[in-house]
Amino acid sequence: MLMVVPVAAQSQSAWHGVQDGVEARATALTRPAVLAFYQARGFSAQAIAPYADACIFSLELHNTTKKILRLVLADWRAQTTAGTIRFRQPQSWEAGWARQGVAEPARIAFRWAQFQADLEFAPGDWIMGMAALERRPDGPFRLTIPYTTDRRRHEIILDQLACAALD
Amino acid sequence: MKSSSTSSPAPPSTERRRSLARLAGLGCLLAAAPLAAQSGGMTPVAGTPPAPPLSLPDIDGKTVDLAAYRGRLVLVNFWATWCPPCRREFPSLGRVQKLLKPSELAVLAVNVGEEAETIFSFTGASDVTILLDRDSAVMRRWPVKGLPTTFIVDRQGRLALRAVGGREFDDATIVAQLRGLLRL
Repeated sequence: MLMVVPVAAQSQSAWHGVQDGVEARATALTRPAVLAFYQARGFSAQAIAPYADACIFSLELHNTTKKILRLVLADWRAQTTAGTIRFRQPQSWEAGWARQGVAEPARIAFRWAQFQADLEFAPGDWIMGMAALERRPDGPFRLTIPYTTDRRRHEIILDQLACAALD
Repeated sequence: MKSSSTSSPAPPSTERRRSLARLAGLGCLLAAAPLAAQSGGMTPVAGTPPAPPLSLPDIDGKTVDLAAYRGRLVLVNFWATWCPPCRREFPSLGRVQKLLKPSELAVLAVNVGEEAETIFSFTGASDVTILLDRDSAVMRRWPVKGLPTTFIVDRQGRLALRAVGGREFDDATIVAQLRGLLRL
């Protein structure tokens, strides 16, 4: 069974869904907020600009079930009228930071501030992190979050998501 | 307390601006209310493997080695000041330490990738032993998939319990788990 969370019940920048004891929240992050966060961690504005210009969400997952659940960020899908967009894998940013000579403390903070690519959640575990879509959708989109428990596939769907405005 | 790595100390006004900038940067993460109330227990680690090595300087530069704590439970918490659930759970590390005797439980809070000055501005004079994993080399040897992650190392030096995401470590469930390990 899938639960589609109506956007009318939520704020304009945060979406929340529950599926059989698994909770998900996506919060759209503004460009100034992302810039401030990473500049405070040691990034130059120029280095972090490509990331801040992307469609960034703070993502949270909480496992309140009695089972271990597994999820892979590469499987998440943003479905728009023009097609499907995936989240860019966290490690793909890191090669760029190394090439640009971003200091190690900043790169460490970036690495661990991201929603991790491959996660296993025990009962009670919850985690949050940022993630960037591969490109900015033209309009609202549906986010499908697949996960597995006992090798059975489930999905949480968050509807009518939107990127934060760039300014 | 180690001084800043800059060649001359920043005047207070500059440091205050930096602190405010750091807090402003955190706002984008803290804006979202947490999904979880950070309560609940920890998960047994399958097979209770030996804890990976952990030898790091504390905030005063003194080297602390996990192996020296054999015979006690050790709570090892991987964290950073920019991580909202890490900040929320941090006070509970000090509280759980006080609930058990020093001969029963030690708490090691392993900060990842930050300067002592940054850490101290958050923790103040904490009773918890804070270790500095500046290049995250130690954390990479532990089965950590995100921050915060916390382990309980049992009295035989094995990984007994794990928690991914924030907890309140003085929660009755976790304290009962710790007392259970002490009875083994």
